[in-house]
This record gives sequence, structure tokens and C-alpha cells, in this order.
Amino acid sequence: MTFIAEKLIKVFPGVRALDQATLRLEPGTVHALLGENGAGKSTLIKVVTGVYQPDGGRLLSTAGDGTLAEVSFSGPLDAQRAGIGVVHQERNLVPAFSVAENIALQAVPKRRGFVDHHAMRDLARRCLERLDVQLDVDRLVGELSVAQMQLVEIAKALAVDSTVLLLDEPTASLTADESDRLYDVVRSLRDQGQSVVLVSHKLEEVFAVADTVTVLRDGRSVAEAQPLANYSRDDVVTLMVGRAHADLHLETRKIDNQSQPALELDDVSTSLGHHGISLHVQPGEILGLYGLVGAGRSELARAILGLDAITGGALRIHGAPAHIGSVSQALQRYRLGYVTENRKEEGVFLDQTIARNVSVTVWRRLARAGLVRNKDERVLVDRYRDQLGMRISSPLQLAGQLSGGNQQKVSLAKWLAADCQILVIDEPTVGIDVRTKAAFHELIVGLADSGIAILLISSDLPEMITLADRIAVMSEYRIVGELDNDHRYEHTAHKVIRMIHAEVAS
Amino acid sequence: MTSTVDPTIDPARATRGSSRLRALTFLRGTEFTLIVLSVVGFVALASTTGGNLLTGPTLTAVFQYLAVPILVGLAQMAVLAVGQMNLSVGVVTGFTAMVAAWLMVHIGLPAPLAVIAAVLLGGAIGLANGLLVVLTRINGFIVTLATMTVIDGLRYGVNGTGTFQNYSSGLVSLGQASLIGVPTVFILALLVAGAVAVFFRRAALGRQLLASGGNPLAARLSGISNDRAIVVAHVLSGLLAGVAGIVVVALSGSVNASIGDDLLLPSFAAPIIGGVALTGGVVAVLGTCLAAFIVRLVDVAQAQYSIDQSWVDLIVGGVVLGAVLVTQVRTGSREGRRR
Repeated sequence: MTFIAEKLIKVFPGVRALDQATLRLEPGTVHALLGENGAGKSTLIKVVTGVYQPDGGRLLSTAGDGTLAEVSFSGPLDAQRAGIGVVHQERNLVPAFSVAENIALQAVPKRRGFVDHHAMRDLARRCLERLDVQLDVDRLVGELSVAQMQLVEIAKALAVDSTVLLLDEPTASLTADESDRLYDVVRSLRDQGQSVVLVSHKLEEVFAVADTVTVLRDGRSVAEAQPLANYSRDDVVTLMVGRAHADLHLETRKIDNQSQPALELDDVSTSLGHHGISLHVQPGEILGLYGLVGAGRSELARAILGLDAITGGALRIHGAPAHIGSVSQALQRYRLGYVTENRKEEGVFLDQTIARNVSVTVWRRLARAGLVRNKDERVLVDRYRDQLGMRISSPLQLAGQLSGGNQQKVSLAKWLAADCQILVIDEPTVGIDVRTKAAFHELIVGLADSGIAILLISSDLPEMITLADRIAVMSEYRIVGELDNDHRYEHTAHKVIRMIHAEVAS
Repeated sequence: MTSTVDPTIDPARATRGSSRLRALTFLRGTEFTLIVLSVVGFVALASTTGGNLLTGPTLTAVFQYLAVPILVGLAQMAVLAVGQMNLSVGVVTGFTAMVAAWLMVHIGLPAPLAVIAAVLLGGAIGLANGLLVVLTRINGFIVTLATMTVIDGLRYGVNGTGTFQNYSSGLVSLGQASLIGVPTVFILALLVAGAVAVFFRRAALGRQLLASGGNPLAARLSGISNDRAIVVAHVLSGLLAGVAGIVVVALSGSVNASIGDDLLLPSFAAPIIGGVALTGGVVAVLGTCLAAFIVRLVDVAQAQYSIDQSWVDLIVGGVVLGAVLVTQVRTGSREGRRR
């Protein structure tokens, strides 16, 4: 079955996730779908599998008589019926169910209202056989290894007679050996006439297994179903990076590298799986921590903040060894603040006033005889309203009524109120429109100029290259490289992306 | 080309290995622990009371008054399966009992019809609970807290604080009868438990409920309606509470509006001690029945030793808390290993 997604458009509030992206799939091929973080790969997959409805463009599929006909999916079930199977990045299995039942979940064989266990096992065995996988179909999925679960998911996608199979980062949690076996399965499916779409950040693997490639950049397809043999790895990286417009151009800032680092990690390992993490941030410096989603950056921030345990190495703050056991300790004793990524869930109290939100970190300091006066809170807000350019009608406005950008400023203000010397800022501009984004960038640089040491976590490479003085690259819970940022986008972006892919490939 | 993920497994050996594994899992599992506890508890109680427990009337009473705890435990389990809770289980049992008695005494409805009407009433209340949860998106805890309060009032609306008695003597003598020494109401509870077990193990609808409770996202992507699962679970819960109401009517010979007041904690105690996951996706019918039996033994011990009633609540509450803690520790350590 030939399947074409033509000039798809998908708009989310404030962002055009897909902007005329085209994906052409032919039977019997392995098609790589590549792009940087936020290029639109996941959105494209969700449109093709019926999870999202496109705002523009159309989906075409070979009809019974061999001609192309337009199709539309009102939900995941429609896409499945049209022969499109998908293995999402997140696990979609029921742990307490057997392998057979999970594989058959979309279309459980029934007899008079009861599950036909015999037919279900047969179906599961047939699907696993196509993958050349031997697995007891009666085992509970919860007992399987991650690699086995992955194969069960693929078998599940095959169970609905899919002719297009989308694999989103299938090897993200597999060892090299397991990945090799998985790609054997992918090749054998291709030889059976399946069209397999592979989304992967691991270029090495992509080049080993894929036949054709589509590259997305800013929601656009910049290479459409091209034979992969025509490209070198450098060509693909260049396509992925392209040119992005920088709203703010910063000259290289002078950082005093001789002084005592404000925050220093020396060979740190954590209970979350980080190993040998060494990095340092000088006062007034912005250290960027870049990596793919899932590389372990926010998790490292959590460990620094004392939310998860540091199990090895040393954490030093202003040169003195620090043992941070809780966020409150990080804040009170070390003046270390964390501007979180999920501002809605973790950053601000939506149902509380701005005044309460800003002062939450310093209630103890403001309190007189255990009571906090509203007036003191308002004074605090007035101080940061100007400094941060918060557009608010009154300190008593509810935080939930503010725009995303202003909420983020409230979240930032509370850490400034706490007089933080070190700030970990996680994905500061996700979901914020372009204009506010530029203002926010200036704000962050302004904070650094005032002497605050900033550890900036961002998946937005242009943002990273705009702001950071140095960039450390993290992959799979390790630091794989560090470079001085010259703020020249293409030059630095190439270096950063190579660091990630070289690491992943090895 | 054969790509076996775990090279040590060939299918034949895997099957044999997994049946042995399953036997091992059972021995380590909650249900085996509960069987041992039940037997030990029963034997201990029987021997310390000098065999009093084994005399006919006492033994009959032990199992007669086990029927309702099993049924309300299953009623709670049905909603726990989809990750919901039903706080109205106890009052629905009382309300349906009152309505059944009222239908027979005041309306003069024949017993079989009154029984059917009361069970259907339970189902209807469950349907209302389920629809409210799904349509309003209000948390099931809050919805059933509200319906619990409403039905609590309705219970007294049927006959005030008055008592219904002298209704269908046929129903009462059937409820108090025994079949080859086993109380009929206990047999009924076991039959219902068996049906519930088959429903969750084999029926397509039951499996959908469990899939929805175990991983709602996966269920949705597999074409299962989570909303429908929630409604079905609440209806089932209401039906089972209705059956419990009928058992009360048939067993006691007289009912008043206070019935059901003391059933909320037991309804949670049985499934939670029995190994049902509060997060949904896992049911344990045998475990729920065994746990209800153990809680019943605590009651019996109170009667046999004339312990203050308040100690029973304390013990049951403590056992529930302990069971939840044990489950948490066990699942916690399992997740830790996986990570």
C-alpha cells in the first residue's frame, strides 16, 4: 500500500507544529523520518495515526483498485483499520495481561461475549512468528524485559493487518545487541512488503537500515522521500540544522574563569543513572545543558536540587562541598533555585494570587510572629514587576489568568525574591510566543550580567546558541562533550549535533 | 534467522518453566498467604474456644454472615478494577434492602419480583454513579460521596426509623436455610463470586474493564472506551450491592434504615487485603473472598471472647492499613528492581 501524507498543517496555540510537511511511503521500504527536537516528527506521526486531526493537507492511500484515494481518520481506530500500525515511544501495554492478550487487544477474538483464548493465542503466535520471535504467549507482560515488550508492541501493531508500521524511537531503551535484533526484524518485515517508518536520533542505525529518508525542519519537509544512498551523514545533519533565525544576537561575553565556580559537579553519579558528570558554572555565566529529550538533563537538575540522591562524586557550591537533601535546603542554605519546565504543574500555583506565588519562597523571612502580611508580599511583587517586565493588572490577580510568558516570569520572580545566586532554568520558553521569547532571553542574559550563575536546560538549539556562554552536551545520562559557544548558529549547531550522534553511534 | 530476545528460552521449555513459575508465583502471592492465614485463624479460634466454633449453629452463623461482606467486597472490587472507588456501596445495600422490604410489605409485590426490582435498583444507582463520573468528569470519589449522602437520606425516607418485618416468609426461610449443611446465602455469595471471576477472567467486557484500569492510554489507543468501562464497572458494583441488600432481607427477617452503616470499611477491607490494586487493572476474587473471611473471623473472635466491639474496628482498620503498606512495599521493591 502506498501511503501519502501531503502538505500537512497542524497548528497549536502559538506554534505551527506542521507547516506543509509531506511524507510518502512505498511498500517494501524502510523510511527514516528525521529532524531535530521540535521539528514536528511526533506531531506528524500523531496525525498519520489519527491521534490528531490535521488543520490542512490530506492523507492519501491506495484503494482496492490500486488508485490513490483520500482518507481521513477521526481517531486511532480509523488509522488502524486503514492498515497503519504504530509503536509509540511510550509503552502502551497492559502489564497485568498476558503477551497474547496484549497483542490481540485491538481486536480480541470473541465467542458469545467471551474471550476466545485459543484464537487469541493463535493470533499472537502468528504475529510473533512473523517477527521470528519466540516468546511464551501466556507470560504476563509485566514480567518481560524492555526489549521483549518492544517486540510485543510491534507484534501488536501487526495484529491488525497493518501494511504501514511506524516505529517511534524503537531503540531508545534497548542495548546495542537488542537493537541489532530489532533491526533484523525490521528488515524481515520490509522483505515481506511492509512499509516501515523509522523515527530515530541514532543516525548510525538509520543509515544501516533505512532505504529512503524524509527530513523535517520547523514543521516543513526539507527532504521528501529521497533515497538515503544519495546522502552522506553530514548532508543529513545539514538538512536537519538548516538556518534558523536568531531574534537576539549576543556578543561573546567575558566570563571570569579564574574565580571560584558558583556550582561545580565533579564526577557525579546519581540514583537516576547519571555517571561521571563533571561541569562547572562561574558566577555570571550561562552554561547550556543541551541534549535530546530523555537524555537526563531535567533529572540531573532534580538530583542537584536534592529531589533525587547523588550517589557518587562531589557537588560543590562556591567551592565548598554541599550535601543538598531537599529543595528548601537548596534554597535557604545554598541560594540555589530551580525554574521548572512544567510551569503549570510545578512552577506556579494557578489558583493563588501573583503576590502569594512570588513570596512563597520567602514566607519564612517575611513572617512576623509567624504571620505574613499581604503588604509585604505586594512590595515584593512591585520590585520584580519592573525588573522582569511582568504585565499584570494587580499583585492580587490570579496566576492562572496570566499568559504563559508572564506565568514564567512569576515563576522566575519567586526565585529572585529568594535572592538566589545560582539558578537552574529548565526549558524557559516552551509554549511561549516568539516575541515574549526574545524578551525572556534578554531577561536571562540580564540576570547573568548581574552575577547569577545560570544552568540553562533547553531542547531548543537556536535558543541554546543564542544564550549560552558554554554548552555541555548530555546523552544517555552522561556528558559527551562541552564547547565554547561562539553564537554562530550553523557552526555551533553542527558541532553539537555531531557530539550527540557520534556518542549515540558508538 | 531467529532472533530470540532471551536465548535461553525455547518455547517448550518456556511453557513448562512458566507453569512452574506460576506455581511459585502463587505460593509467594497474596492469595496463598490469605489461605494460610484463614486456616491458621480458624483453627486457632476453634481450639481456643474449646470447639464451640465447630458446633452446628455457630458454624452456620459464621458462614451466613460472611455472605454480605463477600458481596460488598466484590462490589467495591468491581470499581477498583477500573481505578475508581464507590463510597455508596454500603448505603446502596441498605437502601435496596429497605426498598425490597417495602415492596413486599406495602405494595404487596411477590418476593421474587421484589428481589429482582431491588437488584435492578442497585444497578440503576450504579448507572447513575457511572454516568455522573463520565459526563461531569468529577472524580468518582466525590460523585459517590455525594450519592452516598443522598441515598443515606433516602434510606430513612422509605420507612423513617421504623422496622419492616413479617415480609415473605418463604424468602426468609430460604435465606436462613442450609443445603447439605452449607447456608444458602453463603452458596449464593460463592456463586456470584464465581460469576464475577469468570466475567473478569474470560468475558470480553470484563477484560476491557481490566485493560482500561491497567493502562487507560493503551486501552484508548486499542479502541477500548474508558468511559464505557467506568460506567459498566459502576453498574456491576451497584448490582452486587443490590444482591447484598437482598441477602440482608432474606437472612435477618427484619430490616431498618440503619443497615449498611457499617459496610463501607469492610467493602474496602476485603479487596484491599485480598490483593486488588487501588490503581486499577488487577482484581482478585479469591483474595477478596478470603479477606472477607478473615475479617469475619475477627468479628467471630469478638463474639466468642466478648471483646469490646470498638476493638474490632480498630483491628480491621489496622489490618487494612497493614495490607496497603505491605502491597506498597512489595510493588515498590519490584519497581526498584526493574529500574
